[in-house]
Amino acid sequence: MREKNVMLLHYLSGVGILIFGGIHLFTVFFTRPLGETVWETTLLFEGHQFAILEVYRNMLLASSLWFLLLFTTFHGLNGLRVILIELFPNRAVRSATRYVLLFLGFALMVYGTRTIVIAHMIR
Amino acid sequence: MRATRAQSRSYSTVLKTMLLPAGYSVERWSYTLQRVTGVVVTLYFVLHVVETGNFIGGPGVWYVPSKDFAASYYEQVKELLHNPIFDAGLVIIGWMVAFHTINGLRLTLAHFGITLGKPTRVDPESPPRSFSNYQRAIFWASIALATFAAVYSVDALFGVLSG
Amino acid sequence: MKTVRFSVYRFDPSSDKKERYATYEVPYKTGMTVLDGLLYIKERLDHTLAIRYSCRMGICGSCGMTVNGLPRLACYTQVKEVGWSLKVEPLRNHPHVRDLVTNFDEFFKKHKSVKPWLVRTDSREQESPTSQYLQSDAELEKYIQFSYCISCGLCYSACPVVSSLPEFPGPQALALLYRYLADSRDQSRSERLKIVDEAVGIWRCHFAGSCSQVCPKGVDPALAIQLLRREMMRG
Repeated sequence: MREKNVMLLHYLSGVGILIFGGIHLFTVFFTRPLGETVWETTLLFEGHQFAILEVYRNMLLASSLWFLLLFTTFHGLNGLRVILIELFPNRAVRSATRYVLLFLGFALMVYGTRTIVIAHMIR
Repeated sequence: MRATRAQSRSYSTVLKTMLLPAGYSVERWSYTLQRVTGVVVTLYFVLHVVETGNFIGGPGVWYVPSKDFAASYYEQVKELLHNPIFDAGLVIIGWMVAFHTINGLRLTLAHFGITLGKPTRVDPESPPRSFSNYQRAIFWASIALATFAAVYSVDALFGVLSG
Repeated sequence: MKTVRFSVYRFDPSSDKKERYATYEVPYKTGMTVLDGLLYIKERLDHTLAIRYSCRMGICGSCGMTVNGLPRLACYTQVKEVGWSLKVEPLRNHPHVRDLVTNFDEFFKKHKSVKPWLVRTDSREQESPTSQYLQSDAELEKYIQFSYCISCGLCYSACPVVSSLPEFPGPQALALLYRYLADSRDQSRSERLKIVDEAVGIWRCHFAGSCSQVCPKGVDPALAIQLLRREMMRG
């Protein structure tokens, strides 16, 4: 892929993280009653409107979490790639880091998708 | 006689240039902070994905477990993670996420030529047009918002401010 | 009489293994520049000091050096604005030749790689011109600021990306690329946009702004690079 398109995706995924990360932070942080910590309210397994299981059971929230996973994986690993290109100008190291990061991104996506799909199905 | 000496590109020099830009403007410090926060938040994200795998019973679970099993596993992990040191780490992550977000928006706007001054005839007295008031304002807003986010996370994780 | 303390980087590849710093006391005169002080040292105190300079008035761009940690033109920097104790080193990111003299081969190679000239496709008109190229004020102001570049290499020396990624074109080359891209007389837009669209090209600029901060001519390379990015995104 041309570097131009990679960087365009970097910016777009950043905006995507802003949206879906905002939803994620809203469900975890901004729905608690004032005076209680998130540990006592939203980070319960169930029993709160936005407790762990309730979030995953909700199709919209679960898919927004999946998009957050996708965008953050791309954005974070592409950011690491940019820094590694600058730290190690050697071409061999550059192509090696590309494969390492692709593998890491693939592994993160598989593991994260597993969590979301299975948590969505727990009854 | 050797004609030139290639300047040694030592990693101590490179890292010092990247991380300690003494004497330079806030844009340079924003570059350093954006890098550091980006790397730290990415590392946090990897750990976060690994750790949220425990909601459903740990890395070995590739089937749909019973609710009781997942719940008991989750409570164990929560006991492990819910301690003051990790909470303090989350406060720092909160600062970094907020800073990286707003400063990243500023950089995206700049990279598309928005909020920058227009090129004009040279005026050596005035500051560079790329250091526009909008850009500076968004940078300081990102610092302010990050600090607010850190204070808010102290409240959300420790519950000290509102009782 | 007030004196200024110069701590000067010394390195001669034919005799020295390692760089050292020599200290000189120079009497202060009103309006003294860093270059004046260095020339006083060369004339009265130590003839072996190697410096490069030419016009002494901020036009030729030869006397760039690192003064108290920031790249500056020695002839353009008043001692008074920096302090009474100066640490003078060669420019960073350029190979060192001797003492304060640096090698600009790589820098000029990158400058040349962006084709810093107007490209025209009307060859018949070029051979026997029939008219002039008129530009409006608005067209002129799109690029005139960036054409003030004197290739002194200060922005290249301040750039954090060049220091870690030596193949990066650097602020000067990218700003000059935009200067010719934005010129209404130029006719090679699509070729120009391809030159730096690489993994080590323009996309490695992170808008740290150090180039614009140190530019002695008010060129503002950081602005040119961001505007160039916008043009590249448009395609």
